[in-house]
Amino acid sequence: MMNKTTIRTRVLQAVVAVVAVVAAAPGFVQAQGRLRVVTTLPDLRSIAEMIGGDRVDAFAIATGFQNPHFVDPKPSYIRRLASADMFITVGLDLESGWVQPLINSARNRRILVGGEGYVDASVGVPLLQQPASASREQGDIHIYGNPHYWLDPVRGKVIALNIYESLIRLRPSDKDYFAGNLQQFNDSIDESLASWMTLIAPYAGAKIVAYHNEWPYFEERFGMNIVDFLEPKPGIPPSPSQLAKVIHLMQSEGIRIIITSPYFKKDAAELVARKADAVVVTLATSVGATDGIDTYLDLFRYNVSALVAAFEQTGYKRQTSP
Amino acid sequence: MNNLRRRTGSILVSFVVTSTSIFAQGVDSTATDSLLIRDLERELANTVISPAPTSGARPPRNLMNPEISVIGDFRAGYSSTGPRNVDAEMHEVETALRSAVDPYARADVFVAIHGEDGEFEFELEEAYLTSLSLPFQLQLKAGKFRSGFGKINRLHPHVLPYVDLPFAYRNFFGSDGLNDQGLSLSWLVPNPWFFQDLTIEVTRGPGENESFMGHESNRLLYVSRLKNFWELNPNATVELGLSGAVGPNEFGRTTLLGGLDVTYIWKPLQFNVYRSLTLQAEGVFSRQDSPTRVVRTWGGYALAQYRFARRWLTTMRVDVSDTPADPDWNERGFSVTAGWLLTEFQKIEIGLQTREANEMDSSVQAVVRAVFAIGSHGAHEY
Repeated sequence: MMNKTTIRTRVLQAVVAVVAVVAAAPGFVQAQGRLRVVTTLPDLRSIAEMIGGDRVDAFAIATGFQNPHFVDPKPSYIRRLASADMFITVGLDLESGWVQPLINSARNRRILVGGEGYVDASVGVPLLQQPASASREQGDIHIYGNPHYWLDPVRGKVIALNIYESLIRLRPSDKDYFAGNLQQFNDSIDESLASWMTLIAPYAGAKIVAYHNEWPYFEERFGMNIVDFLEPKPGIPPSPSQLAKVIHLMQSEGIRIIITSPYFKKDAAELVARKADAVVVTLATSVGATDGIDTYLDLFRYNVSALVAAFEQTGYKRQTSP
Repeated sequence: MNNLRRRTGSILVSFVVTSTSIFAQGVDSTATDSLLIRDLERELANTVISPAPTSGARPPRNLMNPEISVIGDFRAGYSSTGPRNVDAEMHEVETALRSAVDPYARADVFVAIHGEDGEFEFELEEAYLTSLSLPFQLQLKAGKFRSGFGKINRLHPHVLPYVDLPFAYRNFFGSDGLNDQGLSLSWLVPNPWFFQDLTIEVTRGPGENESFMGHESNRLLYVSRLKNFWELNPNATVELGLSGAVGPNEFGRTTLLGGLDVTYIWKPLQFNVYRSLTLQAEGVFSRQDSPTRVVRTWGGYALAQYRFARRWLTTMRVDVSDTPADPDWNERGFSVTAGWLLTEFQKIEIGLQTREANEMDSSVQAVVRAVFAIGSHGAHEY
């Protein structure tokens, strides 16, 4: 016969055991299986999958057709982050409105800034448009430089290197595997880039107009020349005076292409296109922007062919160099 | 040893060279120049490169400063009751200071200056430490904080899409909501199907409050909330919250509160800055024990909020509420608010509200408020 105290102790032990098992379950599972990687953007997910191969399970919080500045920090993402081994962010201040509340609530030290699983993909990336001074008078400017660097495939190699270094930190035993994947990634970027450059080379230096200032890296790599934006200042919706200015500029310079992104309303761009006899091209800002863009390489394949098609459609004449 | 010999040698050589150069001085300028160059070259060869003095190049000390932002909430309005019908006030200026304390915790401090009837008073709105690394998916908060009861008590007034708190909150917790000092422990329930968070707070009991009051004895205020959250599809979510609170009231007896809140948000991923719809309803149920009787009261609201353009947001709210001490005093109200969100950092709202108490004491209010935020970029709400 057990006395009351023994029963109470037993019950207490059972409760503690159940709670401990339930609470420790996620940690136990991940130690055995694949590394759980959570990324902010699908582009980072795609690169993580290419480097991590079958050793990672990657999830992206944002979708490819979403404005990366304005992703909603839904509590459901906290669950993913709580059990993540690795968290990859574009960094700078691209996701400043939504990453902080998520990782602060995740109760996961591995993925906090400075944690072993925290990856800031921007480390070592040469940045453009670093402001000498910052004031919101200039609109939503980015204090560290333009954060849309993943739109240059060569900078994508730096992202891949950052991810690789974190992977070998977490799984040193798989170093050779990750190194092989990194090499393969870099090679395919180099190969593809050569073919993309051949396609777009005839249009080098072509003047175009963009909706938002998110293309400087793409522009630099592929030799485009973005001369103005529909937004009067970054993040400020198009105003009539800005649109009028852009229309005049396009008419006088013979600019006939406006590039925009999936998450902006098209009305302003289409209005300008009608007035200036131009075409609106919605380029992909991220993997998954439209069907068929499933990997980081697809992103550039799609954008280059969309631009080339637009140049052909508008009958762009190659400017003869002096 | 070798090193020492070499160094002695070089000192000797430079001594000889220097003395020669002294002798040579004034004799032949080209000779001087060449000697100078030789000296310089020797110096250069011998100089150990040490880090340059960094006094000017050091990053500013304020790199370690917390993130600072200041939020202003200015209001002007008309009210059909009271001796003064038209008024304007700088309702609140809130300074937020937020930072990691160390690798284990972060701290958030909000100090506010409130304007009321032309006077300004300072208030420590919130100040708390939050753990970042407790085991078992726990998170502990210690300090002074807005209580987690219900859906909106945690939110600061300037982020709410309407000018005034719902009647139920104001009547049961006072015009600033339930805000107390103590501990809050939140547990991310390891639920594999949906997000679930259980929060339990133990606080000292607020100083002035319609439902609870700090007590001289060891009686404390206990608050809990179970938050459940589902993603119905990428564009729509539902949140269901169950809250409870128990603690001493102004009579030294016990008040029991129960709360239920439901929020549905439709926000298309692709165009989330242009369109969204929020439907929200909340009820607070009170059982207040006083020396003479037990009073059962309740209050609630339902609202619909629609964003129909990037810069425009409208909110309609219906309010019904008893007062916690008196089930016979019942207020009803209806309000419409239109918000113009110029940028993420500035909004102007116009609110119209009718209020009727016991079908007699009725009033109409119109308020314009301008909210601005300067400083570091705050987090978005969901």
